Amino acid sequence: MSYETYLAGEPVIVTAALTGGVHGKEANPAIPETPAEIGAAAAAAEAAGASVVHLHARQDNGERAFPTERFQEVTDEVRSRTEDVIVQHSTGGTGASVETRAQPLRTDPPPEMASLDMGPLNRYDHLTSENTRATVDALHDEMQDRGIKPELELFNDGHINETHQLLERRDLDDPLCATLIFGSGTLTRPRPRNFLNAIDDLPEGTLFNTLGFGPHQLAFATMGILFGGHVRVGLEDNVYYERGEIAESNAQLVERVAGVAETLGRPVATTEQAREILGL
Amino acid sequence: MACPYLAYRREDAEHSFDTDRAYCTAAETFVQPMRADICNDRHELDHTTDCEIYLEADE
Ligand code: SF4
Repeated sequence: MSYETYLAGEPVIVTAALTGGVHGKEANPAIPETPAEIGAAAAAAEAAGASVVHLHARQDNGERAFPTERFQEVTDEVRSRTEDVIVQHSTGGTGASVETRAQPLRTDPPPEMASLDMGPLNRYDHLTSENTRATVDALHDEMQDRGIKPELELFNDGHINETHQLLERRDLDDPLCATLIFGSGTLTRPRPRNFLNAIDDLPEGTLFNTLGFGPHQLAFATMGILFGGHVRVGLEDNVYYERGEIAESNAQLVERVAGVAETLGRPVATTEQAREILGL
Repeated sequence: MACPYLAYRREDAEHSFDTDRAYCTAAETFVQPMRADICNDRHELDHTTDCEIYLEADE
Protein backbone atom coordinates (compact mmCIF):
# COMPACT_ATOMS: atom_id res chain seq x y z
CA MET A 1 0.00 0.00 0.00
CA SER A 2 1.56 3.22 -1.12
CA TYR A 3 1.18 6.36 -3.17
CA GLU A 4 1.32 4.04 -6.20
CA THR A 5 -1.92 2.43 -5.00
CA TYR A 6 -3.42 5.91 -4.93
CA LEU A 7 -2.16 6.66 -8.42
CA ALA A 8 -3.61 3.36 -9.61
CA GLY A 9 -7.02 4.58 -8.44
CA GLU A 10 -7.81 1.46 -6.46
CA PRO A 11 -11.06 1.51 -4.49
CA VAL A 12 -11.18 2.76 -0.90
CA ILE A 13 -13.00 0.70 1.71
CA VAL A 14 -14.94 2.90 4.12
CA THR A 15 -15.58 1.46 7.56
CA ALA A 16 -18.21 3.17 9.71
CA ALA A 17 -17.67 2.90 13.46
CA LEU A 18 -21.25 3.60 14.42
CA THR A 19 -21.45 3.69 18.20
CA GLY A 20 -18.47 2.50 20.28
CA GLY A 21 -18.70 1.97 23.98
CA VAL A 22 -16.99 4.96 25.55
CA HIS A 23 -19.20 8.02 25.00
CA GLY A 24 -22.89 7.98 24.17
CA LYS A 25 -25.86 10.27 23.68
CA GLU A 26 -24.56 12.58 26.41
CA ALA A 27 -21.82 13.54 23.91
CA ASN A 28 -23.94 13.53 20.74
CA PRO A 29 -27.65 12.63 20.69
CA ALA A 30 -27.20 11.14 17.20
CA ILE A 31 -25.09 8.25 18.50
CA PRO A 32 -27.12 5.09 17.92
CA GLU A 33 -27.42 2.97 21.06
CA THR A 34 -30.32 0.54 20.82
CA PRO A 35 -30.21 -2.35 18.32
CA ALA A 36 -32.88 -0.64 16.19
CA GLU A 37 -30.96 2.64 16.18
CA ILE A 38 -27.72 0.86 15.28
CA GLY A 39 -29.47 -1.04 12.49
CA ALA A 40 -30.89 2.18 11.04
CA ALA A 41 -27.50 3.90 11.30
CA ALA A 42 -25.86 0.96 9.51
CA ALA A 43 -28.34 1.18 6.65
CA ALA A 44 -27.77 4.92 6.26
CA ALA A 45 -23.99 4.49 6.44
CA GLU A 46 -24.12 1.75 3.80
CA ALA A 47 -26.20 3.97 1.53
CA ALA A 48 -23.61 6.73 2.01
CA GLY A 49 -20.72 4.48 0.95
CA ALA A 50 -19.64 2.34 3.91
CA SER A 51 -19.00 -1.30 3.10
CA VAL A 52 -17.97 -2.31 6.64
CA VAL A 53 -19.76 -1.46 9.90
CA HIS A 54 -17.84 -1.74 13.16
CA LEU A 55 -20.28 -2.60 15.91
CA HIS A 56 -20.48 -2.48 19.70
CA ALA A 57 -23.55 -3.40 21.71
CA ARG A 58 -25.08 -1.33 24.46
CA GLN A 59 -27.88 -1.57 26.96
CA ASP A 60 -30.89 0.66 26.30
CA ASN A 61 -29.42 3.32 28.59
CA GLY A 62 -26.24 3.44 26.50
CA GLU A 63 -24.05 1.43 28.88
CA ARG A 64 -21.75 -1.24 27.48
CA ALA A 65 -23.15 -4.68 26.76
CA PHE A 66 -20.98 -7.71 25.96
CA PRO A 67 -23.38 -10.71 26.01
CA THR A 68 -23.73 -12.68 22.81
CA GLU A 69 -27.52 -12.27 23.03
CA ARG A 70 -27.28 -8.47 22.84
CA PHE A 71 -24.79 -8.62 19.97
CA GLN A 72 -27.19 -11.01 18.26
CA GLU A 73 -29.98 -8.43 18.53
CA VAL A 74 -27.68 -5.75 17.11
CA THR A 75 -26.37 -7.85 14.26
CA ASP A 76 -29.87 -9.10 13.38
CA GLU A 77 -31.08 -5.51 13.13
CA VAL A 78 -28.09 -4.56 11.00
CA ARG A 79 -28.42 -7.53 8.68
CA SER A 80 -32.16 -7.07 8.23
CA ARG A 81 -31.86 -3.36 7.40
CA THR A 82 -28.76 -3.36 5.17
CA GLU A 83 -28.19 -4.75 1.67
CA ASP A 84 -24.95 -6.64 2.09
CA VAL A 85 -22.75 -4.71 4.49
CA ILE A 86 -19.73 -6.45 6.09
CA VAL A 87 -20.32 -6.85 9.81
CA GLN A 88 -17.38 -6.35 12.15
CA HIS A 89 -17.85 -6.83 15.89
CA SER A 90 -15.66 -5.21 18.51
CA THR A 91 -13.83 -7.33 21.06
CA GLY A 92 -12.55 -4.28 22.93
CA GLY A 93 -13.50 -3.92 26.57
CA THR A 94 -11.55 -1.98 29.19
CA GLY A 95 -11.78 -3.81 32.50
CA ALA A 96 -13.62 -6.82 31.06
CA SER A 97 -12.31 -10.39 31.08
CA VAL A 98 -11.24 -12.26 27.96
CA GLU A 99 -14.27 -14.52 28.30
CA THR A 100 -16.55 -11.47 28.38
CA ARG A 101 -14.79 -9.93 25.40
CA ALA A 102 -15.09 -13.12 23.36
CA GLN A 103 -18.90 -13.08 23.63
CA PRO A 104 -19.40 -10.88 20.53
CA LEU A 105 -17.64 -13.57 18.44
CA ARG A 106 -20.35 -16.12 19.23
CA THR A 107 -23.32 -14.77 17.28
CA ASP A 108 -25.04 -16.83 14.62
CA PRO A 109 -23.79 -16.25 12.01
CA PRO A 110 -20.50 -15.01 13.39
CA PRO A 111 -19.35 -11.59 12.23
CA GLU A 112 -17.20 -11.66 9.09
CA MET A 113 -14.61 -9.55 10.91
CA ALA A 114 -13.78 -8.60 14.48
CA SER A 115 -11.44 -6.06 16.00
CA LEU A 116 -8.35 -7.21 17.87
CA ASP A 117 -6.74 -4.59 20.12
CA MET A 118 -2.99 -5.11 19.88
CA GLY A 119 -1.81 -3.72 23.20
CA PRO A 120 -2.34 -1.40 26.17
CA LEU A 121 -4.33 1.83 26.09
CA ASN A 122 -4.67 4.23 29.02
CA ARG A 123 -8.19 5.31 29.99
CA TYR A 124 -9.02 8.20 32.33
CA ASP A 125 -6.40 8.64 35.11
CA HIS A 126 -6.32 5.25 36.79
CA LEU A 127 -7.19 2.67 34.17
CA THR A 128 -5.44 0.81 31.38
CA SER A 129 -7.10 -1.42 28.84
CA GLU A 130 -4.39 -4.04 29.12
CA ASN A 131 -4.73 -6.20 26.04
CA THR A 132 -1.90 -8.52 27.04
CA ARG A 133 -0.33 -10.86 24.48
CA ALA A 134 -2.23 -13.71 26.11
CA THR A 135 -5.48 -11.81 25.57
CA VAL A 136 -4.58 -11.05 21.95
CA ASP A 137 -3.73 -14.71 21.31
CA ALA A 138 -6.90 -16.00 22.97
CA LEU A 139 -9.18 -13.66 21.03
CA HIS A 140 -7.28 -14.34 17.81
CA ASP A 141 -7.59 -18.09 18.27
CA GLU A 142 -11.33 -17.93 18.79
CA MET A 143 -11.67 -15.73 15.69
CA GLN A 144 -9.66 -18.26 13.70
CA ASP A 145 -11.79 -21.15 14.97
CA ARG A 146 -14.94 -19.34 13.90
CA GLY A 147 -13.63 -18.17 10.51
CA ILE A 148 -13.65 -14.49 11.52
CA LYS A 149 -11.05 -12.18 9.97
CA PRO A 150 -9.26 -10.08 12.58
CA GLU A 151 -8.91 -6.35 12.15
CA LEU A 152 -5.80 -5.49 14.16
CA GLU A 153 -6.18 -2.19 16.01
CA LEU A 154 -2.81 -0.50 16.45
CA PHE A 155 -3.09 2.26 19.03
CA ASN A 156 0.54 3.31 18.67
CA ASP A 157 3.88 2.41 17.10
CA GLY A 158 4.66 -0.18 19.76
CA HIS A 159 1.70 -2.11 18.48
CA ILE A 160 3.41 -2.38 15.09
CA ASN A 161 6.11 -4.38 16.91
CA GLU A 162 3.35 -6.41 18.53
CA THR A 163 1.91 -7.12 15.08
CA HIS A 164 5.26 -8.41 13.79
CA GLN A 165 5.52 -10.58 16.90
CA LEU A 166 1.96 -11.89 16.53
CA LEU A 167 2.91 -13.10 13.05
CA GLU A 168 5.74 -15.11 14.63
CA ARG A 169 3.28 -16.72 17.06
CA ARG A 170 0.28 -17.22 14.80
CA ASP A 171 -0.58 -17.79 11.12
CA LEU A 172 -2.88 -15.04 9.91
CA ASP A 173 -4.47 -15.17 6.48
CA ASP A 174 -3.43 -12.65 3.84
CA PRO A 175 -4.05 -9.85 3.52
CA LEU A 176 -3.31 -8.74 7.06
CA CYS A 177 -5.77 -5.98 7.99
CA ALA A 178 -4.59 -3.31 10.43
CA THR A 179 -6.06 -0.03 11.58
CA LEU A 180 -3.56 2.71 12.40
CA ILE A 181 -5.00 4.95 15.09
CA PHE A 182 -3.93 8.55 15.68
CA GLY A 183 -4.98 10.89 18.46
CA SER A 184 -4.18 11.96 22.00
CA GLY A 185 -3.07 9.99 25.07
CA THR A 186 -1.67 6.53 24.33
CA LEU A 187 -2.48 6.82 20.63
CA THR A 188 0.16 7.63 18.03
CA ARG A 189 0.69 11.39 18.01
CA PRO A 190 -1.31 12.65 15.03
CA ARG A 191 1.43 14.02 12.82
CA PRO A 192 1.97 13.23 9.11
CA ARG A 193 5.54 11.95 9.59
CA ASN A 194 4.30 9.47 12.18
CA PHE A 195 1.72 8.25 9.69
CA LEU A 196 4.40 7.81 7.00
CA ASN A 197 6.68 5.91 9.38
CA ALA A 198 3.83 3.70 10.50
CA ILE A 199 2.83 2.64 6.99
CA ASP A 200 6.50 1.91 6.19
CA ASP A 201 6.87 -0.24 9.31
CA LEU A 202 3.85 -2.47 8.77
CA PRO A 203 4.48 -6.06 7.71
CA GLU A 204 4.82 -6.40 3.93
CA GLY A 205 1.46 -6.48 2.19
CA THR A 206 -0.58 -5.20 5.13
CA LEU A 207 -3.81 -3.58 4.13
CA PHE A 208 -4.23 -0.55 6.39
CA ASN A 209 -7.13 1.48 7.58
CA THR A 210 -6.53 5.02 8.83
CA LEU A 211 -8.34 6.27 11.89
CA GLY A 212 -7.86 9.76 13.32
CA PHE A 213 -9.67 10.51 16.55
CA GLY A 214 -11.72 13.69 17.02
CA PRO A 215 -10.48 16.63 14.97
CA HIS A 216 -7.95 14.40 13.18
CA GLN A 217 -10.58 12.17 11.55
CA LEU A 218 -10.85 13.91 8.19
CA ALA A 219 -7.17 14.84 7.84
CA PHE A 220 -5.94 11.32 8.56
CA ALA A 221 -8.62 9.74 6.41
CA THR A 222 -7.41 11.94 3.56
CA MET A 223 -3.81 10.83 4.17
CA GLY A 224 -4.98 7.23 4.17
CA ILE A 225 -6.66 7.76 0.82
CA LEU A 226 -3.56 9.44 -0.64
CA PHE A 227 -1.22 6.70 0.51
CA GLY A 228 -3.21 3.76 -0.73
CA GLY A 229 -4.96 2.85 2.50
CA HIS A 230 -8.57 2.59 3.58
CA VAL A 231 -10.50 4.69 6.07
CA ARG A 232 -12.59 4.43 9.19
CA VAL A 233 -14.92 7.23 10.23
CA GLY A 234 -17.95 7.45 12.49
CA LEU A 235 -19.37 8.75 15.73
CA GLU A 236 -17.45 6.22 17.83
CA ASP A 237 -14.27 8.09 17.01
CA ASN A 238 -15.46 11.65 16.41
CA VAL A 239 -18.73 13.31 17.42
CA TYR A 240 -18.11 16.53 15.47
CA TYR A 241 -18.57 17.43 11.83
CA GLU A 242 -16.49 20.58 12.11
CA ARG A 243 -14.95 22.45 15.01
CA GLY A 244 -17.82 23.36 17.30
CA GLU A 245 -20.45 21.68 15.11
CA ILE A 246 -21.84 18.34 16.26
CA ALA A 247 -22.17 15.73 13.50
CA GLU A 248 -25.74 14.96 12.48
CA SER A 249 -25.18 11.25 11.87
CA ASN A 250 -22.69 8.55 11.00
CA ALA A 251 -23.90 8.75 7.41
CA GLN A 252 -22.92 12.41 7.25
CA LEU A 253 -19.32 11.51 8.16
CA VAL A 254 -19.27 8.60 5.69
CA GLU A 255 -20.67 10.76 2.91
CA ARG A 256 -18.00 13.40 3.45
CA VAL A 257 -15.08 10.98 3.34
CA ALA A 258 -16.57 9.19 0.34
CA GLY A 259 -16.67 12.56 -1.41
CA VAL A 260 -13.00 13.17 -0.55
CA ALA A 261 -12.02 9.76 -1.97
CA GLU A 262 -13.96 10.35 -5.18
CA THR A 263 -12.56 13.87 -5.54
CA LEU A 264 -9.02 12.54 -5.14
CA GLY A 265 -9.63 9.91 -7.79
CA ARG A 266 -10.18 6.74 -5.78
CA PRO A 267 -13.66 5.25 -6.09
CA VAL A 268 -15.43 4.08 -2.97
CA ALA A 269 -15.41 0.28 -2.82
CA THR A 270 -18.69 -1.53 -3.21
CA THR A 271 -19.31 -4.21 -0.63
CA GLU A 272 -18.47 -6.84 -3.22
CA GLN A 273 -15.15 -5.15 -3.99
CA ALA A 274 -14.45 -4.74 -0.27
CA ARG A 275 -14.97 -8.47 0.32
CA GLU A 276 -12.54 -9.26 -2.46
CA ILE A 277 -9.91 -6.77 -1.22
CA LEU A 278 -10.23 -7.99 2.37
CA GLY A 279 -10.06 -11.63 1.33
CA LEU A 280 -13.36 -12.52 2.97
CA MET B 1 -21.15 -1.96 45.51
CA ALA B 2 -21.93 1.04 43.34
CA CYS B 3 -20.32 4.40 44.00
CA PRO B 4 -22.25 6.51 46.53
CA TYR B 5 -22.10 9.46 44.15
CA LEU B 6 -23.93 7.56 41.40
CA ALA B 7 -27.54 8.36 40.58
CA TYR B 8 -29.74 7.50 37.60
CA ARG B 9 -31.55 10.43 36.02
CA ARG B 10 -33.27 11.39 32.81
CA GLU B 11 -32.33 15.03 32.61
CA ASP B 12 -30.20 17.89 33.77
CA ALA B 13 -29.99 21.50 32.60
CA GLU B 14 -28.45 20.48 29.26
CA HIS B 15 -29.72 16.97 28.54
CA SER B 16 -32.94 15.05 28.35
CA PHE B 17 -33.04 11.29 27.67
CA ASP B 18 -35.68 8.62 27.11
CA THR B 19 -34.18 6.35 29.77
CA ASP B 20 -32.50 6.87 33.13
CA ARG B 21 -28.76 7.29 32.67
CA ALA B 22 -25.77 7.28 34.97
CA TYR B 23 -25.26 10.66 36.61
CA CYS B 24 -22.39 11.63 38.90
CA THR B 25 -23.54 13.78 41.80
CA ALA B 26 -19.91 14.64 42.64
CA ALA B 27 -19.10 16.02 39.18
CA GLU B 28 -22.73 17.06 38.59
CA THR B 29 -22.80 15.61 35.10
CA PHE B 30 -23.96 12.57 33.17
CA VAL B 31 -21.09 10.14 32.92
CA GLN B 32 -19.81 8.39 29.84
CA PRO B 33 -21.30 4.89 29.44
CA MET B 34 -17.88 3.32 29.84
CA ARG B 35 -17.29 5.19 33.07
CA ALA B 36 -20.69 3.98 34.27
CA ASP B 37 -19.13 0.51 34.48
CA ILE B 38 -16.63 1.93 36.97
CA CYS B 39 -19.43 3.67 38.90
CA ASN B 40 -21.23 0.29 39.15
CA ASP B 41 -18.08 -1.75 39.92
CA ARG B 42 -18.81 -3.97 36.91
CA HIS B 43 -16.40 -6.47 35.41
CA GLU B 44 -12.99 -5.95 37.00
CA LEU B 45 -13.59 -2.25 37.70
CA ASP B 46 -13.73 -0.58 41.11
CA HIS B 47 -14.77 3.03 41.72
CA THR B 48 -12.58 3.29 44.84
CA THR B 49 -9.41 2.79 42.80
CA ASP B 50 -10.34 3.50 39.18
CA CYS B 51 -12.22 6.82 39.28
CA GLU B 52 -10.26 10.04 39.78
CA ILE B 53 -13.49 11.94 40.47
CA TYR B 54 -14.35 9.60 43.36
CA LEU B 55 -10.81 9.76 44.73
CA GLU B 56 -10.84 13.55 44.67
CA ALA B 57 -14.34 13.84 46.14
CA ASP B 58 -13.48 11.36 48.88
CA GLU B 59 -10.37 13.24 50.09
S1 SF4 C 1 -17.94 9.21 38.05
FE1 SF4 C 1 -16.69 8.45 39.76
S2 SF4 C 1 -17.39 9.69 41.51
FE2 SF4 C 1 -18.92 9.91 39.93
S3 SF4 C 1 -20.45 8.31 40.35
FE3 SF4 C 1 -18.98 7.43 38.91
S4 SF4 C 1 -17.43 6.40 40.19
FE4 SF4 C 1 -18.58 7.80 41.51
